[in-house]
Amino acid sequence: MVQAGGVSSERAARGRRRSRRSRVPSVRLLVFLLAPALALYSVFIIYPLFSSLQYSLFSWAGTRQLGFAGLENFERWLQPGLYRERLLRAFGHNMIFFAGTMLLQTTLGLAFAVLLHRSRAGKRFLQTAFTLPHLVSPIVVGYLWSLMLSPSFGAVNAGLRGVGLESLALPWTGDPALSLPTVIVVNAWQWVGFPMLLFGAALAGIPEEYGNAARVDGASAWQVFRKITFPLLIPAIGTVSVLTFVGNMNVIDVIYAMQGSQGQPAGSTDVLTLLFYRTAFQNPDPAAIGQSSALAVLMFVFIFGVSMLAIRVMRRAEGRLR
Amino acid sequence: MGRRTAPRTLTRNSASQISRSLLAAGCAATLALTACAPSTEGGSAGDTTKLTVWSWRTEDIAGYNKIFDVYEKKHPGVQVEFKAYKNTEYPTILQTGLAKSSGGPDVAQLKPFGPIQAFIEGGNLTALDGKVDLAGWPEEVVAAAKGKKDGKTYGVPFAIQTLHVLYNKKIFADNGIQVPTTWEDLKAAGDKLKKAGITPMATTAKEPWVMGLTHEIFGATRMGGDKFAQDVVAGKNDFTDPDYTASLQTVADLKPYFPEDVTAVPYLDAQALFSSGKAAMYPGGAYELGPFKKADPGLDIGFFDAPLPPGAKMDKPVTPGFADGSYGVNAKSPNQKEALELVKWMATPEFGQLFADELKQISAVPGVSPKDPLLAEMIAKYRSQGEPYSMAVHFGYGEPLGRDAEGEAIASMLLGKMDAKAAGTKIQKDISAWFKPEE
Repeated sequence: MVQAGGVSSERAARGRRRSRRSRVPSVRLLVFLLAPALALYSVFIIYPLFSSLQYSLFSWAGTRQLGFAGLENFERWLQPGLYRERLLRAFGHNMIFFAGTMLLQTTLGLAFAVLLHRSRAGKRFLQTAFTLPHLVSPIVVGYLWSLMLSPSFGAVNAGLRGVGLESLALPWTGDPALSLPTVIVVNAWQWVGFPMLLFGAALAGIPEEYGNAARVDGASAWQVFRKITFPLLIPAIGTVSVLTFVGNMNVIDVIYAMQGSQGQPAGSTDVLTLLFYRTAFQNPDPAAIGQSSALAVLMFVFIFGVSMLAIRVMRRAEGRLR
Repeated sequence: MGRRTAPRTLTRNSASQISRSLLAAGCAATLALTACAPSTEGGSAGDTTKLTVWSWRTEDIAGYNKIFDVYEKKHPGVQVEFKAYKNTEYPTILQTGLAKSSGGPDVAQLKPFGPIQAFIEGGNLTALDGKVDLAGWPEEVVAAAKGKKDGKTYGVPFAIQTLHVLYNKKIFADNGIQVPTTWEDLKAAGDKLKKAGITPMATTAKEPWVMGLTHEIFGATRMGGDKFAQDVVAGKNDFTDPDYTASLQTVADLKPYFPEDVTAVPYLDAQALFSSGKAAMYPGGAYELGPFKKADPGLDIGFFDAPLPPGAKMDKPVTPGFADGSYGVNAKSPNQKEALELVKWMATPEFGQLFADELKQISAVPGVSPKDPLLAEMIAKYRSQGEPYSMAVHFGYGEPLGRDAEGEAIASMLLGKMDAKAAGTKIQKDISAWFKPEE
């Protein structure tokens, strides 16, 4: 901006100062612009966050807050007994859900993104088609799939029987061994477009010259993907993993719609959010507010901790790329 | 996976920025679940006192308006406003409404047994002892509105649900089947229907509460009815009792007559199987008649009470039933006198008859009989051979609810993952997480 040649150094410095001042808005303007968002954030995020922490440390009789309870509400979840078993069972299901989703949804998303990146014909159409289920509420998706998978009226088993695959017409949502994988597949069906879009955007950001240069050197298509494309996608993979983790730990709607608030059958699809839902809203215990808040705090600490750790690991991986 | 942000290009920096901000939002959403609920206004103006009644029965608005018109005519100066909220949102809305110092309801519809306890212990309700006369009401009906700790009454029960085996009269006639009076008859009818390509009984083990009710319908006489439950409450018995586990087996043995893959059948499909004439019988409550009649007004429904299974501890069939909820007075209502007057009226035969006829449900007021012949017959059975639905009356006070623990264990039995003994042990363990027998 400031021309150095033929101008005294004093004027140059003044000019630089002025230009810096004009680039940084005044504090008053900053406060004015940030206040609405900050107010909303405080009311809807910060306040509930701290109030539930406070709720979890007190005794309750209905909506009446009694005395300080210390860690009593947490003991319900952490002491040996049914509630700890249920907590661990739900936690295990969340982990399986995350692993399954990463395996299916993220891998497919990456595959679709790579294939679509190369293809010209129908790219827009396919991108839209894969992302379309996003526009439907997970409750609706879960409900529709539970109808399609129903053994009495469902289209899936009727179709399988119709083409002679009788042995594959299984009780998808009613067998404890199948129910969680089924929900994972339905969830992945809905969200596969999300990693696909992120990976697609990241692929578009990789200069074509890298691949061309490698090919000139005699690299096969797989080698180009393995040695060039994939490493450059690591930041996007990290982002997708963390978002998938947070999303999966908080998953509730699709499972609620397909398997009910109990995570049926026989608790085989029970996850942390369902456990929270039952403790908070289906629990006749007058101390329900404290008990459910304690569970929410435990979930927050875990999800936040793991995500922070994941981001740090991710940064280190990115650092190696630089 | 839940957020939809798709930047066109994703650089290293923006990638981690996005992940960090979305992460914070995602995590916070977990905690934010615990807060928030809407509110409404109420109160009195001028000479007329306006009473607000809150309910979860959106389908009953027109009926209640007619009922309260009758009340308003007899009580000049009082205006009753009936406000119904969505069933699933009602508990949260009511919790906030009763906690507020003003603007809540004057009279509120309260869910029975367990859920009312939090309001009682929170001091949100006015005790009705000495103010409303419920003498002569069955004990297990009033229990729906009683404080578990203080034993006081906080509501006037409004409806009773009775449990039976509903059946499609046309299918029975077409297949030459008589209403079964013995367990052998029931099984023979099931076999005959199955051969004819009809599902004998529509039900679902996917919803634990449905299996809990099914157990009460078929197993109550095998376990010894409410006597068994009372013994458990008194600490004289528990759910590992051989007669109780045999009653679980009674239900599991009916598996051949249930729909295929019964643990995968959605509740709505179970209803649809019966209302579409694909299934002949439906173990369920009086509350199912409405939805069935709506699905097919021409459906000719009859009912019977389950015959005695082999080894039954009781000598004749029973009609299980439970109170479906009550009306109580908000302790913070400024119109205590008028609100009490209204719930007092809700305990009279006049209200009971209006309730039964306008809303086509079974009134809890003793002596009242609905115009609908089927409902009238159901309540007559309940009055002559009624038995409290013990899982609701005695074991609905903690998480997991008794009926859910029972239904889940039966589902495991139907899946072949558990025998009756293991199921009993599991139910005992689940309920013991919060239930302590009386000393």
